[in-house]
Amino acid sequence: MTVSLPQFLQAHRDEMLAEWLAEWSSSSAVGLAATSSTAQTRHVMQTLFDEILSQLMVAPQDPPPGLDEHAPLCKHLRHLAAEQARHPEVATDPMRMMFSLRHLLLRHVSTWIREAGTTPVAEHLVQVNRYFDQIALFVFNNIINLRDRHISEQSLSLMELSTPVLRLWHRILLLPLVGIIDTGRARQVTDHLLEAIARHEARVTVIDLTGVPIIDTSVAQHIMKTIDAARLLGSRVVLTGISPEGAQTLTKLGIRFGDVICRATLRAGIAEALLIIGKRITAMEDQAR
Amino acid sequence: MRIPILRLDRILLVSIQEDLTDDEAMQFQSDLVNRVAEVEALGVAVDITALDVVDSYMARVINDTASMVRLLGAEVVICGIQPFVAMTLIEMGRDLIGADCAFNLEQGLEMLRARIVHRGDTRFTGDEDD
Amino acid sequence: MTEPRPPARFAIGNSSDIVTARQAARALSAHLGFGKAHQTRLATAVSELTRNVIQYAGEGSCLIEDLSDDQERVIRISIEDHGPGIPNLPLAMEDGFSTSGGLGAGLPGARRLVDDFHVSSAPGLTRVVIAIRKPA
Repeated sequence: MTVSLPQFLQAHRDEMLAEWLAEWSSSSAVGLAATSSTAQTRHVMQTLFDEILSQLMVAPQDPPPGLDEHAPLCKHLRHLAAEQARHPEVATDPMRMMFSLRHLLLRHVSTWIREAGTTPVAEHLVQVNRYFDQIALFVFNNIINLRDRHISEQSLSLMELSTPVLRLWHRILLLPLVGIIDTGRARQVTDHLLEAIARHEARVTVIDLTGVPIIDTSVAQHIMKTIDAARLLGSRVVLTGISPEGAQTLTKLGIRFGDVICRATLRAGIAEALLIIGKRITAMEDQAR
Repeated sequence: MRIPILRLDRILLVSIQEDLTDDEAMQFQSDLVNRVAEVEALGVAVDITALDVVDSYMARVINDTASMVRLLGAEVVICGIQPFVAMTLIEMGRDLIGADCAFNLEQGLEMLRARIVHRGDTRFTGDEDD
Repeated sequence: MTEPRPPARFAIGNSSDIVTARQAARALSAHLGFGKAHQTRLATAVSELTRNVIQYAGEGSCLIEDLSDDQERVIRISIEDHGPGIPNLPLAMEDGFSTSGGLGAGLPGARRLVDDFHVSSAPGLTRVVIAIRKPA
């Protein structure tokens, strides 16, 4: 008397689940097993296991049905991916978890095939494989999507952090630019600065480029635009900290900062800014020393 | 709608308070130029704080008006361009506005007075040429 | 998310229609939560393009649509006229080129102010479609 595959799987369900859980917890001292509570992981794994098993109970179809995005299985897989995205150091864990289950199931299905001696052998193995391919793709896509969103969120907040407009003195602003400036960031810096100039009615803005490693055409054009826009508001710009390489590049690119005030150092730039608003820094007199 | 032109000694003050149509802008230009000639103004301050759109046409009107006023011997300062308007103008093309600018009317006046003091025709106070 | 606003069509025939159209564009972009920078850029682009209609074709129309969905806020504006068309489109898109004695910032300037910009022109139908977008 032969046992059908569903019957076989049903009979061995507890055994296989225990085997999978044991294999998993021994193989991953770190990662998901360590980061989330064991009971919780066990629960997720158990649900996944039952979902997957129930899919294998139905007769093989060709082509196999796609994953239903709204099925409980996908919900759990998404949960797994989300859990993982928070712990980038164990990026491969959900995949490893799925692969170990595939391996285990294939082994058991092979045993069944041997015992039952049925002929359509390949069909069942192919079905298991295909099914896991879909699951792997689904998990992988989910992880990538979550990562992407995470990265874009981070770069956005980094952008806001890295462009402070400082009040140096009454009606003097300082914008220290640091790092690589791309078009998106340049536009944001400009909008940010113009608002600050208008708010503080700054007469002079010192833009310090000491921390900008590369001044290319697009950076130069954005700086020019900022200077022009600042002029329309009624503010002057003093540029400081252009490196010798930067100066050569700019001139070779044919960019002329015509009537812009340039000073070698931030210190000289600040002196110039103070001069424009009619102030200066002097030594204190008649102080007890 | 006609834009009122206020006179403060020999300085003229104009504050554009509304979005102007092209025709109103041209009307404003000719009114201002005529008034500058009439009072032999030394300085003109144009406040455009209330304008939230300055397109290339309006920019040209402002620029042309400034050039005309300068030809009549007066100093010009444009006051109160909004930050986003400034950025938009620069995105469209550099040098759309060539006149001198100030944050507000108060600072515009300060700037005009500082310039006027340095002019030859005002070095002598009073009416020496009478 | 709020229901998209119904599309609005404006006839462009004289210089006060320019003001009406650009104010409508600004109002919609403010309503959809675009920042002041975006609002100003869009309103200015509409101003440039509707002025072109009056200058070169005499009259035309301006259609303002809210195409926002769950992912994105999108405003699309189509400006059309039935005038003689733009004889040399690539040339007209160059900075500083003008057949009307203007500053020549109109078309290329407007293109730099918006996220999408499409222009097609033939005698009898010139259409410029612009859009601004931001994540919802």
